[in-house]
Amino acid sequence: MHISLRLIVFILCISPLTLLSQEKFTLSGSITDNQSNETLIGVNIIVPELQSGTMTNEYGFYSITLPKGTYNITISYLGFQTLTETIILNTDVVKNFKLKESAESLDEVLIEENIEALNIKKPQMSVNALSIETIKNMPVVLGEVDVIKSITLLPGVTNAGEGSSGFNVRGGAADQNLILLDEATIFNSSHLFGFFSVFNPDAIKDIKLYKGGIPAKYGGRISSVLDIYQKEGNSSKFHANGGIGLISSRLLAEGPIKKDKGSFLFGGRSSYAHLFLPLFDLDNIAYFYDLNTKLSYRLNNNNSIFLSGYFGRDVFEIQDSFENTYGNTVVNFRWNHLFSDQLFSNLSVIYSDYYYGLKLNFVEFDWESGIRNFNLKYDFKHYISNNFKLEYGLNSIYYKFNPGEINPTTESSGINPYKLIDKYAFENALYIDAEHKLSNKLSVSYGARFSTFHRLGQDELNTYANNNPVIFNEALGIYEKAEPTGVENFSRSEVIKSFANIEPRVALAYQLNNKSSVKASYNRMSQYLHLLSNTNSPTPLDVWTPSGKYVKPQLLDQVALGYFRTFKDNTFALEIETFYKTIQNRIDYIDGADLIANDAIEQVILNGEARAYGMEILLRKNEGKLKGWLSYTLSKSEQRTQGRTTIETGINNGEWYKTPFDKTHDISLTASYDLNKKWSLSANFLFQTGQPATFPNGQYEFNGIIVPSYEARNSSRLPSYHRLDLAVNYNPNPNSTKKIKGEWVFGIYNAYNRRNAANITFRENRMSGTNEAVRLAIFGIVPSVSYNFKF
Amino acid sequence: MKKLIYTLALICLFTNCEDVIDVNLNTAEPRLVIDASINWFKNTAGNEQSIKLSLTAPFFDDDVPPANGATVQITDTNNNVFNFTEDNDTGIYRNSNFIPIINETYTLTITYEGETFTGTETLKSVASIDYVEQENEGGFSGEDIELKAFYTDPANEENYYFFEFISNIPSIPTLEVYEDRFTDGNQIFGFYTEEDLEAGDLVTIRNYGVSERFYQFMFILLQQGSEETGGPFETQPATVRGNCINTTNPNNFPFGYFRLSEVDELIYTVQ
Repeated sequence: MHISLRLIVFILCISPLTLLSQEKFTLSGSITDNQSNETLIGVNIIVPELQSGTMTNEYGFYSITLPKGTYNITISYLGFQTLTETIILNTDVVKNFKLKESAESLDEVLIEENIEALNIKKPQMSVNALSIETIKNMPVVLGEVDVIKSITLLPGVTNAGEGSSGFNVRGGAADQNLILLDEATIFNSSHLFGFFSVFNPDAIKDIKLYKGGIPAKYGGRISSVLDIYQKEGNSSKFHANGGIGLISSRLLAEGPIKKDKGSFLFGGRSSYAHLFLPLFDLDNIAYFYDLNTKLSYRLNNNNSIFLSGYFGRDVFEIQDSFENTYGNTVVNFRWNHLFSDQLFSNLSVIYSDYYYGLKLNFVEFDWESGIRNFNLKYDFKHYISNNFKLEYGLNSIYYKFNPGEINPTTESSGINPYKLIDKYAFENALYIDAEHKLSNKLSVSYGARFSTFHRLGQDELNTYANNNPVIFNEALGIYEKAEPTGVENFSRSEVIKSFANIEPRVALAYQLNNKSSVKASYNRMSQYLHLLSNTNSPTPLDVWTPSGKYVKPQLLDQVALGYFRTFKDNTFALEIETFYKTIQNRIDYIDGADLIANDAIEQVILNGEARAYGMEILLRKNEGKLKGWLSYTLSKSEQRTQGRTTIETGINNGEWYKTPFDKTHDISLTASYDLNKKWSLSANFLFQTGQPATFPNGQYEFNGIIVPSYEARNSSRLPSYHRLDLAVNYNPNPNSTKKIKGEWVFGIYNAYNRRNAANITFRENRMSGTNEAVRLAIFGIVPSVSYNFKF
Repeated sequence: MKKLIYTLALICLFTNCEDVIDVNLNTAEPRLVIDASINWFKNTAGNEQSIKLSLTAPFFDDDVPPANGATVQITDTNNNVFNFTEDNDTGIYRNSNFIPIINETYTLTITYEGETFTGTETLKSVASIDYVEQENEGGFSGEDIELKAFYTDPANEENYYFFEFISNIPSIPTLEVYEDRFTDGNQIFGFYTEEDLEAGDLVTIRNYGVSERFYQFMFILLQQGSEETGGPFETQPATVRGNCINTTNPNNFPFGYFRLSEVDELIYTVQ
């Protein structure tokens, strides 16, 4: 660890020196869509003369410092026409480019510059970017375009199937994904218990998923980062678009506040499937809605400000006896500032909360829980030279956790008011990351994140004999809750427990030739928050708990190795990666742990470990009438919790066992084909090894009921999961000059009606009294139609 | 939690979610199952008691075999020994001179096939069922009959309850366990609903006083069974250990539980 730090300091000291010897100038600016003035992320700025280049950042800004000279700068971006411009660089130049969409000239041959070449050279690996256009073209269940469901088609990404929230990256748990919407952390990414995700596709510009080699800029979660950016809104003209689907409808309006300077964006989405429920004679309500807003204003060339918000809720009501509401709220203010044409900065001030409310009228009580956080981020991007870039910054987050509060709703209620103890924490991080081109062939990035976590004072923290909240009952061979010996009270300003970690991040890319490269990366990450869930996928009820006196932070080490190449003038791209990762302090639950409304969670959890390894292959076709990708992942994901002493058995006898996200084989194929200007077709095919499950290996009778007795954890599997989805997009008047343009999307989800098991329940038939295995298959074949419009 | 499953079911309505399938399962070696439930019904002497011993069986078998030929006895702290003798080859062992005392500690000793099994537990008292309330528009469909059996929890002490509802429709009783963490000292209820319940049906409601350990045991056990599993909310199934151990060969531990309860019983006629 010290060696890597020293290395960084050393390189930081020498790098600028070696660069001062030549006269150099900086070309910088921003790149936007010429129609909407929307900034574009990840645009390639290529300098063919030097076989070099850069990319726009998350705010559409680029900067490149080159020796004095004349250059034919090429600007290229998928889906847009490539632009070439001659720049005479004898002084610093600020140049903003506007790109034209290439959709208007579909059959035209595009300039085949090395669009992917920069990606091949960059040390960043294990990252997948998806444009919202790609996502929108994929067939989806019930016609609902869904960000989270689309990324599960990428290599190394799976989820627990239909109707389960979240996603699993490289054998990691769902709570190990950092999900950022415009830099703000989203704690629960699903609507309707996971059938849909909270992101309104119309409001989204770009998504990026980091699975490994994660830059030092990101921290706090150990498996992956899903970085989602919302559109700024059209600052040149008013536009609206929307869609009408079977489940939900959405409408989004955007336009200038001040032409070419400021813009607004308002988007809303709501489901209405519940409106049909009365037809089934059901007095139940289930719906969700979300609102996205964003105001952007460019004060001058050096300053822009953004105010964005998100508000989403799910509502369920059953027979007046049960009401359930939950969702996220995010408010986010950002300020982009250019200190110079080489130093870009962004300051974000973010408030976000997650609320969960439940009212059980038949027991006459309500329940509220949630998490609030205030987040400050200050990030700098320093384009020191063409060969050397620095990113550094800081991040502070203050958390308040409300694990739950119960109140009676009526006078006659038999429930007493009860408040679980609030928890507080403060997380800080400083980071620095360098991207350094050592030669034409070798690029490295290296950096570190220094993170600290302080668990702040709370009321009534239990104390235990020997500080041990879980005791082992030797006679019965089981773990049990320890009796607290007392309680400690702290003031809010006291620190109960602190953690600090240095997280080195290193990556390198070696270019074999113009078309191929090898890359390697190592990263350590730490995670201080844990999602308490002993189910296979997160539920809205799940409670996050901070590390503290009894719960240690999770620490990950991951190495990855990859081979990247392009074929046929970049028409095809091939990525092969292998990874190995280990996680320390993965929490595991003692048998029969009850996590709901538990004020002393430390009594039912133990610290274990996890590991995952595998290989991923991704073959992509980026251009032409037929586009899409084929991915294959071979992997293993396991966990283990050993006894703390030689007497203790540990969990599952202290042996490694499969995590619920262990899918040996995972194949996905997604393709779209443009027949002509009116019609396009798309298809997905998925195959996954069945999810690990625990099956009974016997039965017995107790107190008049039949009880299954189970084998060791996760030693069996559900049947394999596979399905085919198809969709047709029909654009009736592609050349229409009318203001309103419409498009139909017809889809079939699970085309051959595979009954994929979401789970198998072993139970006694209540009528016949015989035992049976019951498969729950959530979606059979589901046809859908939706209509999208814009004006 | 069950209600959450219903909302999932709501989405499933469109597609027909569940079907019965064939699954090949492994079978573990048979284990002894101890169903030693000493029930002292209020206003009875409580001298007649029985203990049921059986073995585990492959999951899809229709029956579980009885454990025959065991010696079974219970002792109390006053050195009373209550011997239980097998009723033919049923696996049911009976005694008719048992002396139930609230808060007395009892020890069960079983010798079966050369191995000795023991367990220790306390006889717990229970609050009486005050009355039963009937709701005719309950459940997911709004048409199910729901029963609430009210009882008054004694204040300022930890109490645990085990409810049994037996109706004449299904072959399986409905079992529930409750703690008083959120309801200490209040009048609260045991809850029962059954889809096909009709006016005139008889429902036997029993409220048993149980220990915290039994509450924990039964809570997990009920999660493993049919009622609470299903959907993504499913918890990790596990081996559920009761309060009995094998002193001869600890790895060959028994399933089941040695419980002693005071019981209040009420037979309710559905209105």
